[in-house]
Amino acid sequence: MTQHELATRDLTLCHGRATIIDRLALTLPAGEVTAIVGPNGCGKSTLLAGLSRLHAPKQGTVLLDGRDIQQLPARELARRLALLPQEAIAPEGLTVAELVRFGRQPHQGWLRQWSAEDQQVVRQALAAADVSELAGRPLDTLSGGQRQRAWIAMTIAQQTPLLLLDEPTSALDLGHQIEVFELVRRLAADGRTVVMVLHDLASACRYADHLLALRSGQLIAAGPPGEVVTTELVRRLYGIDCTLIPDPATGSLLLANVRRAGRCGDA
Amino acid sequence: MWREVSAESQARQRPGTERCERGAGDIVAPPGHWRLAWQAAGGSLPYSLLIDRRAFVAALILLLALLTASLAYLAMGSSPLPPQAVPAALVGRGDMMAVFLVQELRLPRLAAACLTGAAFGVAGCLMQTLARNRLATPGIIGIDNGATAFAVASVIGLGVSLAPPAMALAGATTAAALTFGLAAGGGVRGYRFIVAGIGVGAVFGAITQLLLAKVHIDTANAAYPWTVGSLNARPAGAVMLLAVGLSLGLGAALWLTRALSLMRFSDAVASGLGLRVARRRWQVLAVSVLLTGLAVAVAGPVGLIGLIGPEIARSLSSPRGVPVVASALAGALVMVLADLAGRILLSPIEIPVGIVTAVVGGPWLLWILLRPASRNLA
Repeated sequence: MTQHELATRDLTLCHGRATIIDRLALTLPAGEVTAIVGPNGCGKSTLLAGLSRLHAPKQGTVLLDGRDIQQLPARELARRLALLPQEAIAPEGLTVAELVRFGRQPHQGWLRQWSAEDQQVVRQALAAADVSELAGRPLDTLSGGQRQRAWIAMTIAQQTPLLLLDEPTSALDLGHQIEVFELVRRLAADGRTVVMVLHDLASACRYADHLLALRSGQLIAAGPPGEVVTTELVRRLYGIDCTLIPDPATGSLLLANVRRAGRCGDA
Repeated sequence: MWREVSAESQARQRPGTERCERGAGDIVAPPGHWRLAWQAAGGSLPYSLLIDRRAFVAALILLLALLTASLAYLAMGSSPLPPQAVPAALVGRGDMMAVFLVQELRLPRLAAACLTGAAFGVAGCLMQTLARNRLATPGIIGIDNGATAFAVASVIGLGVSLAPPAMALAGATTAAALTFGLAAGGGVRGYRFIVAGIGVGAVFGAITQLLLAKVHIDTANAAYPWTVGSLNARPAGAVMLLAVGLSLGLGAALWLTRALSLMRFSDAVASGLGLRVARRRWQVLAVSVLLTGLAVAVAGPVGLIGLIGPEIARSLSSPRGVPVVASALAGALVMVLADLAGRILLSPIEIPVGIVTAVVGGPWLLWILLRPASRNLA
């Protein structure tokens, strides 16, 4: 899969008069998993909406391979960049396979409604997200984790080199979170660039190659989690003190002894 | 940092290895579809169409039901004909009286019923899809009443020289603009939109009553069938205009079917799949308003057809697509049956079709509201 680069230049996003993202310049490393973290209201989801053209910038640009995404035709963008929003709503009664087939929409036309490639890609997408056995089940009968994997399968069927996920694991229990994260890692191993908004810093440390830390619309840290996550960063982001220890099995950072900033630990 | 990669997940990382499992020769249509394919000139990718079997069968059933109802419509009335005499009378053979009844009296009215019913049905289906809400039909969000108020104003000669269809269109557009304007803050998907629409509808309803209260009783009587919805007084030009408008509107709606099926997702999903949501929304709205305005110009506000027709179409069709054709057929069917009932129930007195649909549609609306799984209402 060819790698594509997504970057922002001087990006300013506003809701009404409130500036949410303020003149942000960043580059998302191709072929890696980037996690956007930060406290509630820091503009994570708005940034993701801006990156996927859902939210038009007040100023500045989002560049996909050097081209302003506002200039790209909608279907072409949908063939390069897939988005899974936080509150994805599907029509009632749709089955998993039917949902995944909608992912082929940007590749189809009025007179090209179902090709050999469509068939093959849908089958692969179902398999990649491990939902082949659920293909015939209506979405409303699935568990949260299964449903989320079905949605991700739809974005896989879009065959885009870039995948943007907005809090893909919120509202999922731990087991289902891991299902989704492992799927994300498999997608990245296939050469996709994945960008996800996460509110759990420990998951971001474990599953992302690259971390973007946002606070009040400003980028305050960017880089590999092992290098940028410090107790100081955690305090600035969330107003908490903690001890960072490496996971004995994987080496990724864990937050221990978490407490509100300025208080002594219980230990 | 990701350090742990099991052999199993490594194997799964290469979906490309199963690439040649099936050749291009054995494409299977997705479950529940027929696939029609033919080779394009110049050896490029073959063209292919998917036909949803259930939607196709639903449309076929509705078409047969409509044909049967039409036969009954032509045969029944204050002077009934035997059904077998109807086809002969249609082609101008048999009893002179029967030919006159069928060709001159009942057939034009049947055509008007089919056209208005289909227009209301499609308009309702489009608006419901646009707002992702089964209650958001043009009748409920005030567009019917807007069209009626303007058309009544032209009928009673309120110094406006435009013909009823043009006035009805202007009224439908005005009401739609008001409803959308008032709901602007909340978008089209929520209670605010419905409530704004109900308010706009109430205001236009009151304006209609006010207009009628101020004119001479005979003029008011002439306009009365119009305000409840009736096929008895049909402006001749309006039917022709509706026929043209319906063929254009239906064509546009069919052209928009793929966009419509994406519109049922949340906006972010639809836009992520390459839909230009705002542009498509305007197009769908324009078609819905056009069909409503033209249909109201013929039959008055029989807006409940826009609720019942798509509802029947959806229950027969599959959840995979938006049943545009089935909504047209179901709308026409309900209109024909309702007008037939209005003509024969209290014969020789005629009940306006709008009252029949209100009697049937009211409870229907309540059922939608009170149904336990009313997820689509939010």
